[in-house]
Amino acid sequence: MTDCGCDKAKAELEEFLHRELSDDDFKDVSEHLAGCVECETEAAVGLTLMQRVRSACQEKAPEELRESILARLNAHV
Amino acid sequence: MNRDDSELVDDELDSDFSDDAAEQPGDVDRDDATTTTDGDATAETEHDDDLAGVDEDLNGRLRSALPPEELRRLFEEQALPFMDQLYAAALRMTRNPADAGDLVQETFVKAFSAFAQFRQGTNLKAWLYRILTNTFINSYRKSQRQPYQNAIDELEDWQLGSAESLTQGRTTRSAEAEAIDHLPDSDVKEALQSIPEDFRMAVYLADVEGFAYQEIADIMKTPVGTVMSRLHRGRRLLRERLADYARDRGFVVADTPRRGR
Repeated sequence: MTDCGCDKAKAELEEFLHRELSDDDFKDVSEHLAGCVECETEAAVGLTLMQRVRSACQEKAPEELRESILARLNAHV
Repeated sequence: MNRDDSELVDDELDSDFSDDAAEQPGDVDRDDATTTTDGDATAETEHDDDLAGVDEDLNGRLRSALPPEELRRLFEEQALPFMDQLYAAALRMTRNPADAGDLVQETFVKAFSAFAQFRQGTNLKAWLYRILTNTFINSYRKSQRQPYQNAIDELEDWQLGSAESLTQGRTTRSAEAEAIDHLPDSDVKEALQSIPEDFRMAVYLADVEGFAYQEIADIMKTPVGTVMSRLHRGRRLLRERLADYARDRGFVVADTPRRGR
C-alpha cells in the first residue's frame, strides 16, 4: 500500500466527503486517512459539519401551504 | 393545460435543461418502479408503461397526450412529495416563512404548467430545484440584486482570510467536531444564513440535498469548477462561524480554525 500523503488528502478532502472522486483517488485518500490521525480528524470535522447542516435544515411545510397549493392546482385542471 | 403558461415556464427554464437531463443514464427504469407501486388503477398503469416505452424509443416523447386529470394525478403523486424539501430550501433562500411559502407555491404552479413537457424517468427532484432556484432569482432576488456576488467568486483564498495552513493540534479539532455536533439547530441555520447567497446555495444543495456537483452546476447554471469553489469557500466560512458560536457558548475551540489547502 502506498500512501498518497497529507497534501493530496487535504486537497481532495472535500471531494472525498462529497463522493466526487474517482474510485482510484477515493481509495488513495481512504487509505491515507486510515493511517494519518491528523487528516482523519480533519475529515471527521468535515463530515460532522455536513451531517449537522443536513439535520438542522429539515423542515415541514405548513399545512396551509399544502392546502393552498392543492387549491391552485385544482384551479388549473 | 394553458399553452401560454408552459411557454412562460420554458423561458424560465434553461433551454438546454432537457438535454442535460436526458444525459442522465439509467433513469428510465424508475418509471416502472413508480407505476408498479401504484396498484389501484390498472388502466392508468398501462398508460404509464406505454409512455415509458415511448420515452425510451423516441428519446423523450412528451406526456401532453395524457388527459389533464391523469397528469394532475401523476403530479400529485410524484412532485408534491418534495414539498417539505422545497420549503426547507426556500426558507434558506428567502430567510423568512412567508416568502418561502410564496416561493414554493409559485414553483409548484410553474412546475405543474410545464409537467406535460417533463420527461418521465429524468431527474424530477433536480428539475423542481431548478424551477425553485430560477423563480427565486427572478422574482425574489431582483430587487436586492447583489453586485458583489460575482466579485466574491473572484476573490483569492487569502482575501477570504483562509490561507493559513493547519496549525491546530488534533485534540483541538476533535473538540471542534464535538462542538459543531452539539450546537443547536438555530445556530447552524443562522450561520448558514450569514454566508453569501451563492455559497449558501452550493452548501445547501450539496450537504442537505446530496446533489452531485454536476447537478448543482445545472441547477445554479454555473460551471462545475465554480460549484466546487463556492462549496469549499461556503463550508469554510460556515465552519468559522460555527466555531464562533461554539466559543460564545463556552465550548472549547481554538481561535478561528481554518483548513489549509
